[in-house]
This record gives sequence, C-alpha cells and structure tokens, in this order.
Amino acid sequence: MPKADTKAQKESKSAGSAPKPLSVEEESTLRESLKRCSPATIEAAIAYRKTEEASHLPAVIIGVIERFVEPDLRAKLKEADDELRLVEDLGIDSLTMMEIVILVEDVLQMQINNEDLRNLRTVGDIKVFIDCKVRGLPPPQPTKFLPIEQIVSVMPIQAPFLFLNEASITGSGAQGKYKITGQEFFLQGHFKDNPVMPASLMLEALGQLAVLYLLEGAPPEEGKVVDQTKIFFTSCEGVRCHRICRPGDLLSLSIKPKRTKMPLATFEGSIRVGQDKAAMAEEITLTFAYSDAKTSDAEVAALDAVEGDTRPPTITAATA
Amino acid sequence: MAKVYVTGLGFITSIGNDITSVAENLREMRHGIVAYEPFAASEIPVKVAAPVRDFDTDSLDPEDWTYPNRYRVRREYLRSMGPHGLYSFCSMIQAIEDAGLAPEDVSDEETGLFGASAGSPNLLTYYVRRMHDLGVMRCSPLGIVASIAGTVQFNLVAHFKIKGASTGFASACASSSHALGYAYDEIALGRQKRMFVVGAEDGNVETILPFAGMRALSPSDDPDTASRPFDRGRDGFVGTGGATTLVLESEEEVARRGVVPYCELAGWGQASDGHNVAISHPDGHGLANALSRAIQSSSIEPSAVDYINAHATSTPIGDVSEGKAIRTVFSPSGSKPAISSTKALTGHGLSLAGAMETGFCALALRQGFIPGSAHVTDLDPAVVDLNILLETEERRPQIVINNSSGFGGANVALVMRAVPSVG
Repeated sequence: MPKADTKAQKESKSAGSAPKPLSVEEESTLRESLKRCSPATIEAAIAYRKTEEASHLPAVIIGVIERFVEPDLRAKLKEADDELRLVEDLGIDSLTMMEIVILVEDVLQMQINNEDLRNLRTVGDIKVFIDCKVRGLPPPQPTKFLPIEQIVSVMPIQAPFLFLNEASITGSGAQGKYKITGQEFFLQGHFKDNPVMPASLMLEALGQLAVLYLLEGAPPEEGKVVDQTKIFFTSCEGVRCHRICRPGDLLSLSIKPKRTKMPLATFEGSIRVGQDKAAMAEEITLTFAYSDAKTSDAEVAALDAVEGDTRPPTITAATA
Repeated sequence: MAKVYVTGLGFITSIGNDITSVAENLREMRHGIVAYEPFAASEIPVKVAAPVRDFDTDSLDPEDWTYPNRYRVRREYLRSMGPHGLYSFCSMIQAIEDAGLAPEDVSDEETGLFGASAGSPNLLTYYVRRMHDLGVMRCSPLGIVASIAGTVQFNLVAHFKIKGASTGFASACASSSHALGYAYDEIALGRQKRMFVVGAEDGNVETILPFAGMRALSPSDDPDTASRPFDRGRDGFVGTGGATTLVLESEEEVARRGVVPYCELAGWGQASDGHNVAISHPDGHGLANALSRAIQSSSIEPSAVDYINAHATSTPIGDVSEGKAIRTVFSPSGSKPAISSTKALTGHGLSLAGAMETGFCALALRQGFIPGSAHVTDLDPAVVDLNILLETEERRPQIVINNSSGFGGANVALVMRAVPSVG
C-alpha cells in the first residue's frame, strides 16, 4: 500500500494538483459512510480520495448505486451495462436518487446540484457526469427526451411512415421506441394472414432515429444547423436480422454515430425486443447539408418551455 | 347506523409481541417493566421503563436495526420509519393475518387507516441537528416522513397500499382512542367498510424522559412495583412503547367474510375538561361526560357495564380524578363495574395507550377474563368504594369500557360488547 500511494501521488502531482493526504480520521469516516457497500467500493473510494484519479470513480459509483438497489435487482448492475435506466430497470425513485447523491457527495467531497441531477437517466449518465465533475469539465450534454409530439414537429418524415413513438438523445447517440400496433398499412400484405414487420422497415426505423439525432443532437459543426430537407439515405453495411418482429412487439432502437463529416454521417444501429437482439446494422450512412443557424434559438426556447422547471433554485452555497 | 366489529389484532408491546403472549401475560398479571439501561446514569432520576423486546432500534440508521425474523421489511420501507414505524408495520402484519384479510381486502377503496403517533423525537432532533451541522442539502430526504407526527399513517398507507380514508390523531395519551372513535364513525356512517387503527410510540429516552421534567414519571427503581395505579403509594407513570393495530369491520363485511369477531365496538364518547393543559380536572368532569356520551351512544344502561379498563397511569392526581368520574356516572344506578388499569403491567404508552388497551379489552371479551389491577398493596382510600379488581377474574364480561385521557383535558371512552357466537 505505501508504495502504491507514493506512485499514485507522484502521478497525480505530474498532472498538476497534489491531492490532500487522507488522514486516518477521514479514512475511518469514509469507511463508516460506505459500510454497507462492497469492500471493492470502499477500497476504490479510498484510492480515489488518496490519488484523485478518475479511473477509480466507476467502481465507487456503481458500488454506491448497488448499495441502494433492492437485492433482487443488484444482479443487473453486474452486467456493466451503461444503458441501464435508473428508474425503469433499477427501481430507483427520486428519493433514492437523493440518497445516492448525498452519499456520493459525502464520499467524493463534491456538490451536485438539482439541475444537473434531473438529466441523469442511466448508469452511464451518472458515470460520465461524475467523471466530468472531478476533471473540472463542464457536464456533458444532458439526455434530451423527445415525446412523439416533439418528434413529429422536427422530423421531415411523418405518419404513416414514421416508426418512432419516443426518443432520447445524448451526446453519444440516440435511443428510440416503436411499438408495432398491427394497424400499420403494410402489414396487410406483409405477409398474407401473417403480419411481420418488414426487415427493410426496421432499417428504416433506425435510419429515422439517425435523422432525428442529426437534427436534435449536437450539430456536427459548431454554429451550424442540419437542414431537415437535405438528409437522405446513402448506404447500409453489415445488416443481420435475428428475430421476427410482430404486432405487440416493442422495438428498442439504438444508434451511435461512428463518423460524421459533411456530407456523410455514419452510424451503427441495433434493435432489441426486450432482451432479444432483433436486428443489427454495422453501418448506416446518411447524407446531409447545413443551413443557416438562425432557427436554433427558437428550438431551444421551445425545449425550455416543454421542460419548464418550477422548482426553486438549488442551494449550492452549503459547505460540507 | 352500521354495527362495527373488532376482527383483528396485532401487538408489539412490553408484555408480548403476539396475541397469545399478550393475553397470557394479562391474565397472569405479568408485567413488562425492567431496569432500563439508558436510564442508568446517576443524574437520571428515573430508572425503569417497559421497552419492547426482540427489537433493537437504538441506532439512528434504520438499516442497523434488528427485529424478529418473521418480519421482512424492505430497505425502501425502513428508510422512512422511526422505531415506532417499524413496530406499527409489524403489528399491522399480525392484524392482517389475525383478521384473515386478503391483499384485495387491505388495498380497497372502502378500507382506510387511522394512525396515532406523536412522531419520533429522537430522529427529529437528529435530522434537525444534522441540517444545522452539515447543511440543508445533507438532510436525509426521508427524515421528515420518518420523524414527524403522522409518520405511522404515512408509512403504513403507502406500504400496505391503503386506498380509503387515512389521517392521524394527536391528542397525546388519548390519540389512539380518538382514532378508534373516528374509525368507528367512518364505518357506522357507511363511509368505509373496514378501518385499521394503529397507535404507536418509540418508547425510548426521548419519548419518555421529557415527562420527568413535569414530575410525571415514577422515580422508583423497582420494576415490580413502580407502576401501581390506585395504590396509595403511587408516584408517577412508567414509560413504554410499541404498537397496536386493530381491524374494525362493518357487520356486512364480517358476514361476507364469515369471520368471528373479537367483540363489537358499540359506541364512543368524548368530552374535554376545559381546565388545565396537563392536569386532569380534579373531579374528572370531562371524563365523566365522555363516559356518559359513550354509554348513550351505545344505547346501554350504566348498570350493564361489567368492566372498565381505566386510563389510570399511576399518577397521584389522575387516578383519583378518574375514580371520581366513574363514581359520577355509575353511582346513581348503584352499579359497580370492575375496574383495573393494565398500565400496572405495560406502563403508559402515550399515543399507543388507547389502541393497546382497547386491544386488551377485545382479548378479555373473546377469551373470557377480566385482568386485575396489579401491584396494589395499599388501595388508595380515595377509590376504596370502587370495585378495583386486584386479581384477574375468570369470567366473561358482556360490556366493557376503555377510558383514555390526554393533554389539554381530552377524554375518550370506548364501549365494547361481547359477541354471542364465541364459545
């Protein structure tokens, strides 16, 4: 241990800021705060407090979340899936979230304000957020949730050819949902007396999510806006279908940008139904073009109106 | 008006954590009072209390608590509870089982819950201190619901998915009797078909010891005699905690479910002394009025009353004024109902008292006994004309009254009637 400490301290000194040494009392307070967490969590927290190295953070954060999740749901955290949703998958309500925040604040000696909190929807969101926080970087672009009304208002594609019911966009990609209702016009003929969602339209749905990402995600270039009338399909590579999808199935769509350089944007995409893989595309490429950025203010204002927050300002002055 | 029956009981008390042991201890007059460790320090002039057994809720962190294995309480539930929240939860589980209620009977729009609790002063002071010391944003997000008055019904209504009427009562030592009275009304008026009534107290240093300041606690260090209502040498009450849940149901619901109730809750009455914030009226004026109203509301004659479970807490003034109230109501008819105070065995449960003692009366009515008033070696001459029962009697009372009095001079009397079908 002493050796590791010396090494770690040297490393972080070279990074510019020397961490305060952790006193015996501080360490025992830290252990007490984390007494219901796994030993690995405690060690990671001590290591972080001694070295201030961000690489220890994921273990601390997962460990703190795990401590507050009901035992029967803890196995999910072991899957190391950053897409795990705090509310839907882990049963963490907003009060439990506050408990997590208070413990994280206590253990990592930081302040987290309410404004930032409400943007954290997944385990990955928390990891990225805390990571930025300790590195002194601005918090990442928050997850932007788009209900159907908002999707319809921005998309060039409309019913009956729109295959998204809701979507959320983060800095690193987009997730969407589409429920096959059985009322879709094409199911009458695809196939006769045997309705199956066409694979080509599953790809279309992924393409639509990519379009939404281009329009609503961070613009590929600062100060520019993607023109919604100039996005078109270009190519698709490495497509595999794993599962037949029928009326009643809820498609969970996900796309991640791989590279974006005007006029091409390439994404990887996948569709799941529950835990089943339904379809994968290694590359979906769209063409796009920019237009003047003057509409962006109006969009921001619209979004603010949707998310209108009536809570009082967060108290950040309290010191630990 | 619909008839109202008691169909289920649950107890976490100093004399037992289940119906069987509570009934046995009442019958045998075995008390639950001990030399209480947290009072051991020499500067504390009070030495005994009647804590609940098999629970350790001393820690300020509910996740440290230990409790009997038969209960499983999720962390998500525990985090919003004070110690008496946990006792309530356990007594509620017992009462649901005892009444034979299915989940759809418990979570039903015509099933409500009234609680009686003064909150958890230990947790409340801890959270407030933490707020001052560590900052506003470091308060436990559930500190408020775990500690303020009302915490019992907040927790139980949420955790047991109660959908009918719910609220709480705060009239100090009359709280859970008020809760029972108003729950009776809910059913009698046809608003609800079933009500849970829960009285509870932490019963720790912070709920008991502040009464030392008003000289209301017995300074005795002898657990076997400290609580002795109606004894000439009584010198104050002994504190206790725990929880009791009663299930009240309408006649129709009793018939539909085909259950045999403990007894009928036949009516109730309340009245106030209009006298002093903390001392009972010297003539028991308010309590006499509450008794008269309860008797009238139950359409019985005073002479029909077989047993009164007295409020008598073992304080010099209170026990005598209660005796006067009873004399006022019963002497004109020349009747002498048996009287005992089971607080000699349990100590005084404050917000818990009314529900706990009504539960005791229900046991007496079903099992056919009248518990004696323990620890009386020298009956106070001021009550010597009354029929204070010094030993348990093995006979089934037909009509029983439970008295409660609280701060501010609030008085409640509840009337119970035996049901004929019990063998």
